[in-house]
Amino acid sequence: MSLFSINQIRKTFTNGEVEEEILKGITLTLKEGEIIALVGASGSGKSTLLTIAAGLQSVTDGQIIFEGKNMSAMNQEEIRKIRASQFGFVFQFSHLVPFLTVEEQLQLMLDVSEYQLKKDEQKKEVNRMLELVGMNHRKNAYPSSLSGGEKQRVAIARALIHQPKVLFADEPTASLDSKRSKEVILLIRQLTKDLNITTLMVTHDKEMLAFADTIVKMSDGVIVHKKESIK
Amino acid sequence: MNLAWKEMKRNKVRFLILGSIIFLISLLTFIISGLANGLSQDNASLINDLPEGHFYMSKDANQTYNLSQIEPDIQESLITKQSDTIALAIQMGFVHDPHNKQQSVAFVAATDSPIFDEVEAGEVILDSSMKEKGLKIGDIVTNTQLSGDLVVKGFVKHKKFSHAPVALINIEDYKEMYRVDKMQFIFIPGEQSSEKFNGYESFSKREFLQTIPSYNAEQMSLNMIVWFLVIISGMLFAIFFYMMNVQKIGLYGILKAIGLKTSKLFNMMWTQMMLITSSSLVCSIAASQLFNEIAPVEMPFRLTMSTTIQLSLVFFFIGFIGATLSGIQIKKIQPLQAIQQGEI
Repeated sequence: MSLFSINQIRKTFTNGEVEEEILKGITLTLKEGEIIALVGASGSGKSTLLTIAAGLQSVTDGQIIFEGKNMSAMNQEEIRKIRASQFGFVFQFSHLVPFLTVEEQLQLMLDVSEYQLKKDEQKKEVNRMLELVGMNHRKNAYPSSLSGGEKQRVAIARALIHQPKVLFADEPTASLDSKRSKEVILLIRQLTKDLNITTLMVTHDKEMLAFADTIVKMSDGVIVHKKESIK
Repeated sequence: MNLAWKEMKRNKVRFLILGSIIFLISLLTFIISGLANGLSQDNASLINDLPEGHFYMSKDANQTYNLSQIEPDIQESLITKQSDTIALAIQMGFVHDPHNKQQSVAFVAATDSPIFDEVEAGEVILDSSMKEKGLKIGDIVTNTQLSGDLVVKGFVKHKKFSHAPVALINIEDYKEMYRVDKMQFIFIPGEQSSEKFNGYESFSKREFLQTIPSYNAEQMSLNMIVWFLVIISGMLFAIFFYMMNVQKIGLYGILKAIGLKTSKLFNMMWTQMMLITSSSLVCSIAASQLFNEIAPVEMPFRLTMSTTIQLSLVFFFIGFIGATLSGIQIKKIQPLQAIQQGEI
């Protein structure tokens, strides 16, 4: 069943008098629980497509339909509400809040998403998620004392704690070494499948591609190839 | 989750430095303002401390109080009409203390009233600053123009005129010293509008103060100093809060990206501003009051509660403006910009 569809998206940037079209009419559908990997050379428009789909920037033309609603016609507050409650984000850098402990990072996300839980249930949920990402033993640590891999695990836990419908991941393993990358890939794969979360990710990581249900190759702002996995 | 407090708790040193700067700026403003007010009070506390009312001087005195003369029949009729009316005279002069040292004073004579203590002929009540010069109750002071001596009957707090301590004397002694038989001006207490008397000019307290030589120029200079200081301190306040928040654009962008409401970001900035400003102001008010206690008596310092509250409100208002201006900048920031900036 289609959860998310991107219809004829165009995005143009103006640099002085020069207009540059980054996305040239992209159409893509995401099914519930599906993992789609966006690949392509630098400047092909994959990160722009991901951020537009996530409501982090506007479109020049086209529609983004999420659960039957046209996000491109919504105002900033409506998009914020969707971002807070229905979307999760993992970026190249963990972007953790430096003055919050690991546990507080997750509690903040529950507060932001207005996820209706009592305080003790909230605590249990945080512990459960930290257990899933293997970070329960570091729940009182601040980001400055965590390794890159640990930070990214916490970022994944933060992105999924409020049980979003879609996870957007922009090169989540780019800042990690190969061992940590593999751990993070397995974690994303396992959690999104367990929680039935649709995932749209940008990656260059070949191992990550192995876990994707669909691989979409982009070049110069258009989809040049789409391959569904036989798994 | 109280993000404002959590950030302050985690970054204690950073916020302590900011608080110290705010403390020093506000302390400077309180001290300078207290000194300026003290100097102003030193010039005219005798008049400033009178209740609201109207002064009357003879028109031919051309608004110069020591050229003014009140006709005795007018004085009598006014006092009969309103019992708290006071006829006053002020002259600059000096007394010789028991060690034969000359001390400058402002001689004040007044008709009976609850505002001024009663002084018999041959007695004087002095401003308490004269205690510092070694005078005490029962001491005898003299004036070359007066045939008899003056016995110090007591002291009154903060009564100065034209920077000289007040010496309250009996009307008869005053008339003998200055070879006059009339008082200089009339003061009628009360909020009611001034009455018109033929040949006399009416002044409000504020207007009367302007007739004191040099008072106006001195006040303008003092007010200028205080307001310049308040404006510059205020700008520094606003700039500090602005810089503190603008430096955290990356953090605010990430919080926006995960869906935190902009109003919560504003609350975070305002809460931090309120916590830093109020704790800094409490410290600077306490320090300025301590300064008030330990400052030498010769140094005029007066920081009233109303001035303290006024200045504190100005600081809160300016801090609020600084935090809000940075909030507007942060409101404009796109979460994507922050994400693309890299790790915070």
